[in-house]
Amino acid sequence: MEKLFKISIGLLLLVASLATHAALRVVTSTQDVAAIAAAVGGARVQVESLTPGTRDPHFAAAKPSMIHKVSRADLLLVIGADMEIGWLPPLLQAARNARVQPGSPGYLDLSTAVSLLGKVDGPVSRAMGDVHAKGNPHYWLDPRNGLRMAQAIATRMGELDPAHEGDYQQRLKAFGQTMEAKLPAWRAALEPLRDKPVIAYHKSFVYLADAFGFRIVDEVEPKPGIAPSAASLSALITRIRNDGIGLLIMEPYYERRSAIYLHEQTGIRVAVLPQSVGAQPDINSYFDLFDAIVKALNNPGGP
Amino acid sequence: MDQYLRVKRVAVIVGALLCYPETASAEEEREALRRQLTEMKQQLQRQQQAYERQIDALEARLDGLEAKSDEPALATSPAVAASPAVTRGDFQIGLSGLFAAGGSSVDNDALEALQAGAHDPNQNGFTVQNVELSIGGAVGPYFDGEAHVIFQIDADGETVVELEEAFFTTRSLPWGLQLKGGQYFTEFGRQNPQHPHTWAFVDQPVVLSRFFGGDGLRSQGLRAAWLMPVDWYSELYLGVQNPKGETVTSFLNAPGEDIGGHTLIDRDARDLGDLLYTARWLNGFDVSDTVSMNVGVSGLWGPNASGTTTDTAIGGADLYLKWQPARSQRGFPFVSWHSEVLARRYEAGDPGDPSRETLKDWGLFTQALWGFKPGWVAGLRAEYASGEGDTSADPWRDTRKRLSPNLTWYPSEYSKVRLQYNRDWADHLPDEIADSLWLQFEFNLGSHAAHMF
Repeated sequence: MEKLFKISIGLLLLVASLATHAALRVVTSTQDVAAIAAAVGGARVQVESLTPGTRDPHFAAAKPSMIHKVSRADLLLVIGADMEIGWLPPLLQAARNARVQPGSPGYLDLSTAVSLLGKVDGPVSRAMGDVHAKGNPHYWLDPRNGLRMAQAIATRMGELDPAHEGDYQQRLKAFGQTMEAKLPAWRAALEPLRDKPVIAYHKSFVYLADAFGFRIVDEVEPKPGIAPSAASLSALITRIRNDGIGLLIMEPYYERRSAIYLHEQTGIRVAVLPQSVGAQPDINSYFDLFDAIVKALNNPGGP
Repeated sequence: MDQYLRVKRVAVIVGALLCYPETASAEEEREALRRQLTEMKQQLQRQQQAYERQIDALEARLDGLEAKSDEPALATSPAVAASPAVTRGDFQIGLSGLFAAGGSSVDNDALEALQAGAHDPNQNGFTVQNVELSIGGAVGPYFDGEAHVIFQIDADGETVVELEEAFFTTRSLPWGLQLKGGQYFTEFGRQNPQHPHTWAFVDQPVVLSRFFGGDGLRSQGLRAAWLMPVDWYSELYLGVQNPKGETVTSFLNAPGEDIGGHTLIDRDARDLGDLLYTARWLNGFDVSDTVSMNVGVSGLWGPNASGTTTDTAIGGADLYLKWQPARSQRGFPFVSWHSEVLARRYEAGDPGDPSRETLKDWGLFTQALWGFKPGWVAGLRAEYASGEGDTSADPWRDTRKRLSPNLTWYPSEYSKVRLQYNRDWADHLPDEIADSLWLQFEFNLGSHAAHMF
């Protein structure tokens, strides 16, 4: 009996020692959010992303290593707007961490900090394809939204860790200043694209177009999430020719055959844009991401 | 950092104040300290306000940049979305329908033993395998609840309704603990708790149909799970369930049924020791950035109905590996490999019964899936099941082998079409072999289904 008591105390101490730690443990659903959280949190936080920037975060699955990370998090930052609908609910249930359940201070849905485009008024049917009724969730591709996300994250970190609130606000200020310096330069670099019609592979660049003033007039996918067919591609070829559309933009993880075909048929230039921090090895910060996007838009490398 | 030090100083001052002896001479000093404290508070507040002003100014300047562009899409200003909509998105309801058509080189009677799963296609012609109504959501801050009701049309054309699962789980117990109670699939191995519409093949593995019956192992009970405080995912499940009914086949199965020539009696659980005890230990790791792995062991102990004191024990081990490259479109391509091995020890007949014996059975299945392009998955499954002794005429204990290649197409996330060929080798069949071809169709209505790892 005494032995059992000793073991129980030992286990409790072990659990307690694991539960107490200095830095705020921040877990994010994507690497973009992780990059912003790291910029705002600095050395005071430990940031881990659940999905890598090389993959489409919508199609992740609740892996056991993700359960482990969420079970220990103090703050969970998500994109929201149904981006993580396929894997976050089972993950939250499996991780059973009361600190980061929706409604707790440790859960922050960043879609509430920005204004979503593409909200669907009226009935949404799955016959329309993979439509996000709450709005398009790719909002991190507008740098102004990046600042709004940083602001929401800094405020929440300050609430969870009041002792370092000033620290987070200071870093937020630095983040905003860098943004203020970079945004006009990016805009100037993309001035030639202003008001130009562009085709995207998937409905994921509406915020980018909004931020830099080009127009996305059509998608390669006939409906969101539905693969292009021979018929839909030939309709697109007609449109590219008739409207004089000069640029096709797409994420690196989509199939290239459709883009190659459209390029061969019409000569349309193709820009493969990194859609996330971590999509390429040289993109480590949120600012790197836009540097790379602006570069790729200016020099479309082809499919 | 400055602020951190300042807060620390406040703490020291407050601490000192509390400890200071109550003397008349301290009164003045205390007053001074109080003033200092108030000043510091005000300073902090001013600083915070300054930060807020700076942020507001920055936002205004960025909005200014925004206003300079004449982009009409910018009409959706932050003000529009400033009201985060509170939705009750956690209530989920869905209906999935699973249908099959096909045929076999053997007749319907033989198929019933070959395709022993209650949701397997088991007739020459059409089978409504499983129409499932699922409802779930958060009950409150402390519990989640979910229920699954199955509608089926049996081989005689009769509609069958079953309460497949209905249970609660706790949301936020401390120390990584979770309780689950109600009617639920026992967490034994990886395959058993899966619902038919998430299976990778049209039918359930032979060894599971043998040990757990057509519907899989599920019953009423309570289980605790503990997410262990170690540096990888490691979870221990311990549970207790009612041992009686046709969904706990290896235990107190329905009276009149038989196993290895022993007719089952009507036996009830007499005391708590007569319940079904369940255990599972599951571990998960990322082997690399592209490969993840689950490995688990499971055990079951409970009474069986071949006698008044007889018991059954079942053990199993399972392994699951999944590879997905760094770049993937809609979760494709991928390769996954899932294997399970199970063994059963069944005491048949009470002591003193001349026919008393111990029935030993085992079986395994191993299956690989290759998602070779978005929406397309090719699969191959190999199975073996066998019982000790002269079992060649017993369709539930004979030596069986099965090889099943299949091809699945997902037109969207909410539907699938699957073609599967089964080659069966079974001792009890007159020709010892059977060939079957099944076409399966599935639709899902309602809530977004979870992406299973």
